[in-house]
Amino acid sequence: MINMIETLISGITYSSLLSLMALGITLLYRTTKVPNFAHASFVVFGIYTSYTLALLGYNPYLGTLLGFIVSGIIALILFYALLEPLRRRKSSIFILMMATLTYDILMFGIINIYADYLQTTFKIPARNVYLAPQDFTLIGLKGVTIVSTSLLIVLLMLLYILLNRTIIGAALRAVMENPSLAQANGINVSLMLALSWFLAGGLAGVAGALLPMYMMTDPSTGMLLIAPMFCASILGGLEQIYGAPLGGFILGLATTVLVSWLSGVIGYWIMTYSLMVPYITLIITLIFIPRGVVSIILKR
Amino acid sequence: MLVIEKLNSGYGKLHVLYDVSLTAKRKEITAVLGPNGAGKTTLLNSIFGLADIYSGSIELDDERLNKMPPHMISRRGVSYVFQLMNIFPNLTVEENLRLVARFSGMNHKDIENSLKEIYDLFPILKERRRQVAGTLSGGERQMLAISIGLIKRPRLLLLDEPTAGLAVRYVDMLIEKILEMKKTMDMIILLVEQNVHKALKIADKVYVLVSGRIIFEGTPSELVNKEDIAKMYLGVG
Amino acid sequence: MFDVIILFITDLLAFFGIYLMLNTALNIERGYAGIPNFGLLFSYAGGAYITGHLTAKIAILLTGAKVEADPITQPVSALMVLNPILASNPLISIALLIIILLIGASFGALLGLIQLGPAIRLREDYLAITLLALGEVMNYIAIAYKPFINGSLGVQVPDVFSWIGSRYRFYLATGIILLIAFILYIYAEFLGRTPLGRAMKAIRENEIAAVSLGKSLTRYRAIAMIIGSAFTGVAGSLWTLYSGAITPTLQRFDWTFLPWLMIFLGGIGNNLGVALGTFIFVLINRLIIFNKHLLAGVLPFDIVWFDYISLGLIMGLILIYRPQGILPEKPYIPKNIRRKIVVSRSQE
Repeated sequence: MINMIETLISGITYSSLLSLMALGITLLYRTTKVPNFAHASFVVFGIYTSYTLALLGYNPYLGTLLGFIVSGIIALILFYALLEPLRRRKSSIFILMMATLTYDILMFGIINIYADYLQTTFKIPARNVYLAPQDFTLIGLKGVTIVSTSLLIVLLMLLYILLNRTIIGAALRAVMENPSLAQANGINVSLMLALSWFLAGGLAGVAGALLPMYMMTDPSTGMLLIAPMFCASILGGLEQIYGAPLGGFILGLATTVLVSWLSGVIGYWIMTYSLMVPYITLIITLIFIPRGVVSIILKR
Repeated sequence: MLVIEKLNSGYGKLHVLYDVSLTAKRKEITAVLGPNGAGKTTLLNSIFGLADIYSGSIELDDERLNKMPPHMISRRGVSYVFQLMNIFPNLTVEENLRLVARFSGMNHKDIENSLKEIYDLFPILKERRRQVAGTLSGGERQMLAISIGLIKRPRLLLLDEPTAGLAVRYVDMLIEKILEMKKTMDMIILLVEQNVHKALKIADKVYVLVSGRIIFEGTPSELVNKEDIAKMYLGVG
Repeated sequence: MFDVIILFITDLLAFFGIYLMLNTALNIERGYAGIPNFGLLFSYAGGAYITGHLTAKIAILLTGAKVEADPITQPVSALMVLNPILASNPLISIALLIIILLIGASFGALLGLIQLGPAIRLREDYLAITLLALGEVMNYIAIAYKPFINGSLGVQVPDVFSWIGSRYRFYLATGIILLIAFILYIYAEFLGRTPLGRAMKAIRENEIAAVSLGKSLTRYRAIAMIIGSAFTGVAGSLWTLYSGAITPTLQRFDWTFLPWLMIFLGGIGNNLGVALGTFIFVLINRLIIFNKHLLAGVLPFDIVWFDYISLGLIMGLILIYRPQGILPEKPYIPKNIRRKIVVSRSQE
């Protein structure tokens, strides 16, 4: 029983992190109309931001703030260096997708070079980033659980206020609804898209900064995350911003709690295949509810 | 006053307009007519910074608009009502209008006044103001689109075939409304229309555009007298 | 010196052949049918791993050899029995090769269908997400399921080329790779001119128009994916047979990103362009790898990351400045229609 509660808490932590990542994917899909295949790189930059802070002796939780900025900037570079020139040339969605995939490859190279650099400078194995031993505990809960869930709630509220209570948010919504009409009415669409990339990159950076407190990470963690991130985003509904956390929690809890329960029923060997949960969920979602869970709720 | 001189424009390598010159005055309706593919929409796109300008000039009240990005042109008091995709479909009618008004830098009082003016002009929109815009009928949608153009009280209103694809009763009504707008609001109206009869009825000045060149400039009655042009390109007379 | 050059050329041609198969496959999927296959790795790794799993087992069946060691977990002792028999038996070796390639092709085609299936009716972006996400799965399966290719340790496979003598083994392997690549290339070129190939292109150009003309979107997508993934599976099989061993470490960079880079370089939709792009890329890439030791001391990091960055930058430049490639696609007009067009033009 205690084990089950522990699993549930771990599942909520994972779900919160997944939600932060999926939120960015959905936001970018709504504004730029492109699935961002470089999103995992933004997360990995977050990982190495908090790791670097930890190596320098700072509290790794500072990484959430710095990771937001670092990954936000990494996302902005993608937008201004590749996507905006392509958008000006009226390139197809396919070319834009290819561009995000290319950027992911580039960033993978850069983060590995950085890991090599850390390795030679600090004489540490920079390819196994795990900060959980340094985490604090409060009333029996792990720090990462408290921080990730509360950060998710706070960031969601901030995002809601930004989108619905401010003029910039109104402009962002106008760009999502009808970019050419938004532009025709004095909204700087390019700037709004840039803002959405910064925000999405930042959210991914926050999630990445917290990730090493939760699990063992390395530069290729991004490849592991691609499927769960997109699955959560599609599960919630690519067209519904607030569907992302919903998808994140359904998938996150399925991956942790459901698999742990199944391992008790069927056998421990099934844990080896917990990695397959996102893929199976993705396939089921695409076949039965390609527009996501929120679309079913809205229909009623 | 809108003054276009010797405008050459198009999209990339596709040259559409050749040496187009045009003048449109305040409190007047200037209509641009012509067959399909003549470059009418390209003319509006060029004014609004959506096409590539190779040479020539576009000036609104002695200020050059060439090379400005669309959002800057919009802030100079130009409204462009597209033929299609001209509303925010998931917002309500009033949200559509208020959203656009907020970006024009109007203060709260001006927005309320402008909104009232628009509801006076189109009472049906007042009735529907809490309705999601995507669920409006074709005619109502077009009224909303024009209202989105009017809410910031523009100096220049560009209308791209506002009556295209509408039911007959809406066509007559919209044409009436455009005439009313001309009388009550102080702005330049540049109208691109397929419906030549209706356009000739309300226009103060007419240009005929064929294959990217202006082949006629004058009043509606002068055009009707030029039988060759009216018949060959416009199917009138 | 002479030996080094021969070695370089053999290695170059083998890589060219493998990549030509992959890129021709990608060209059928993307260039003909418009499928954005960002998960090429799935069927390629599938072909490579199934070959690792089955080659020894089928060799035991064909030769009737008594092998007590399990060929997956104890490959060395199994191969000590199998390799001498295969080396002295050209016919069995060739039969084994053909059977393995057929298995690689069918397994690849099946995987392609599984991969495309969930999103086959959906828009391009959903297709791309699904294909990309599933691309990574094969490695996880191979690592998690030990009996497949012995987990992360990988397996060694019997040598089907050694009957020609160990000195010429690599030449033979390279020759066979080139021969099969050539056959697949000719088939792809032929396919582009058939009504089937033209129907695929019609769907790529305008889904709605083609569907309203009675072309079934799902059917043509599925056919293109089956053909393409079969090619990819064969390429994977040959890679394992050529290397003589396989581990579950095939990377998205090498086996998905680079093929895309090459077909963008050459010109999507144009087979000749794709072949040209492949050759130019492989030549430069192999020259760099061959001379890597020159750079090794200079750079403060592992040279392999330099590839990621330089090739990523090149791809970015291609996307912005020349997305149509060196040899852009030209519309193919069948002969009987070509004459009619000439006639109608001369009448104008």
